[in-house]
Amino acid sequence: MSDGSSAGPLIQVENITRVFHVGGEEVRALRGVSFGINRGEWVAIIGQSGSGKSTMMNVLGCLDTPTSGRYMLNGKDVSRMSDDELAVIRNVEIGFIFQTFQLLPRETALANVELPLVYRGMPARERRERARAALDKVQLTPRIHHKPNELSGGQRQRVAIARALVSEPSMLLADEPTGNLDSATGEEIVRLFEQLHQAGHTLVLVTHEPKLAARCPRAIRLSDGQIVADGVGRDVALGTAPVVLAAGGA
Amino acid sequence: MRAFLDNLRLALGTFLGNPLRSLLTLLGIVIGVATVITMMGLIEGLRMKVNKDLGRMGAHTFQVTKWPAGGFGRINWAKFARRPDITMEDVHAIEEACPSVGVVAPADDEGGQKVATAALETRPSVRVFGTQTNYSVTSGLTLASGRFFNEVEALDGRSVVVLGTDVADVLFPGMDPVGYEVRIKGRPFRVIGVLQRRGSMMGMFSLDNQAMMPLLIFQQLYGKNRSLDVDVQAKEPELFQKAQDEVATLLRRRRSVASNLPNDFEMHTNESMTASFNQLSVVISIAGVGVCLLSLVVGGIGILNIMLVSVMERTREIGVRKALGAKRRRILGQFATEAVLLALMGGAMGVGLGFFLVFLGNWMLRFPMVVPPWVVALALFMSCGVGLLFGIYPAARAAKLDPVEAMRAD
Repeated sequence: MSDGSSAGPLIQVENITRVFHVGGEEVRALRGVSFGINRGEWVAIIGQSGSGKSTMMNVLGCLDTPTSGRYMLNGKDVSRMSDDELAVIRNVEIGFIFQTFQLLPRETALANVELPLVYRGMPARERRERARAALDKVQLTPRIHHKPNELSGGQRQRVAIARALVSEPSMLLADEPTGNLDSATGEEIVRLFEQLHQAGHTLVLVTHEPKLAARCPRAIRLSDGQIVADGVGRDVALGTAPVVLAAGGA
Repeated sequence: MRAFLDNLRLALGTFLGNPLRSLLTLLGIVIGVATVITMMGLIEGLRMKVNKDLGRMGAHTFQVTKWPAGGFGRINWAKFARRPDITMEDVHAIEEACPSVGVVAPADDEGGQKVATAALETRPSVRVFGTQTNYSVTSGLTLASGRFFNEVEALDGRSVVVLGTDVADVLFPGMDPVGYEVRIKGRPFRVIGVLQRRGSMMGMFSLDNQAMMPLLIFQQLYGKNRSLDVDVQAKEPELFQKAQDEVATLLRRRRSVASNLPNDFEMHTNESMTASFNQLSVVISIAGVGVCLLSLVVGGIGILNIMLVSVMERTREIGVRKALGAKRRRILGQFATEAVLLALMGGAMGVGLGFFLVFLGNWMLRFPMVVPPWVVALALFMSCGVGLLFGIYPAARAAKLDPVEAMRAD
């Protein structure tokens, strides 16, 4: 998976822009964003809707490519890759956790967790073992043969987290992971993130909730497609962190 | 390979997830394939029937008849009915006036007859032949037991009969009928021989359900004023064409056919029968292929439709799969496999339906139909082709979906 280039930061984003053309109009969702994230960091990216955080999340997740700028992920320049090359990067480097879970409704929890390994071409027996292990990590072993509609919201998100973990990616990328959960269940998931962070996983969490961002060691605030604050999670979330100028890096 | 198996599993899941919709969608392909199977069964059955008939005629032998060949092509019944019958006098004239002709055997026949013993009776389905001794030469008959009737018996019109094996089996189960008495049309006959088994088609349509007697006695039973079928064998293989020319010339003169008119009788050789049959089978084949292609196109549109719906319904799923690392080719493969599998299932059902129709044809219409294996293979192959052809566009659409957009779909 990792090519061993652990010297530099895991993620290095340099002056990234992303321009959309919507009905003849130019929308500049990201206008020159630069930051780095090291291995083992837990970073929240926060911002109001329209701040560019979703676009940032898509670019970081290799679901989208920047219009200009450079994105180095685990030592590889992924900013100019083709669709299929990005598919491989997503498969190997990134574990996605979505707000709406994005589980396949017709498949069991186990089959859902196996999915990233299917696209890696792993033999069925091996991927089943690894999927079981991943489900065990999120304490879902008794429910591995249930389909998503037979699981509670919290359990679904655990399945999704297991699916993100199973491929041993270099980062977990979560998009509003508690957005569809009640506060108690959301709290469970956040605790799970804390455990994963302590276990050494790199976590990037995209959210609009200051409360959630405040619990992250580091947060980056986006506004109008630019970084306006980058610092300790609590400070950035509460607005007490120093404002970073658009031109300057971290 | 592993990818293929995964795709196969997914495709099966789709089918079983919505069996009724899938079934309805596949109807076009089912009908198309069933048509091909039935049509080809019909043609192959005819071909085998014709081949058996041809096999009946011995070497360098041709047949002169009033009616056109076989059981098909009798469209212009009235036109043929106006032809003069072929008579015993014609037969004698051929024997005397045609130097290239070796053996001549007139014959007449009647289907749907019963043969009975004191204790047992056949169904009214036996074909009774009246003919002469030479018939065993011209038709290359062989006997399982006993003998064919000799010239004395033929010329005297003695009440002797040679049975086909089916008739013998029904009336004399487990024993040799030679020497026993049977009754045909209420008249007693002594069995003097049993024909060698000639086989049946698919175990349903027997060629052994017949009885042969001297022509004279046949005419007493069934009437004299009937046109004869005349087997003519050339003296030598090299004289085959010459013998035909002599017979044709003779009959045209005897029947006063003007030189500008065609023959008012039929002459069948192996070649002419094969040719006329081939003509017919080509027509049937073209019609069959046309119906089939049409159905397959309809079926293909069905596949196209269901696959487009399937891609739309599963946009989100496709998005998730792509996000988790599925390459375009993989998604394309998944949906193409699904389309091909669907089409193949339709094809398989069509084959099943086709065989059922063929079975019905054999059983109810007593028409021999045979489906050659290559037709089944071809039908399934065409189904796959249709699936791939019409499935590739929806699959390509799925493969090109943007994962972010796709995951946002409801």
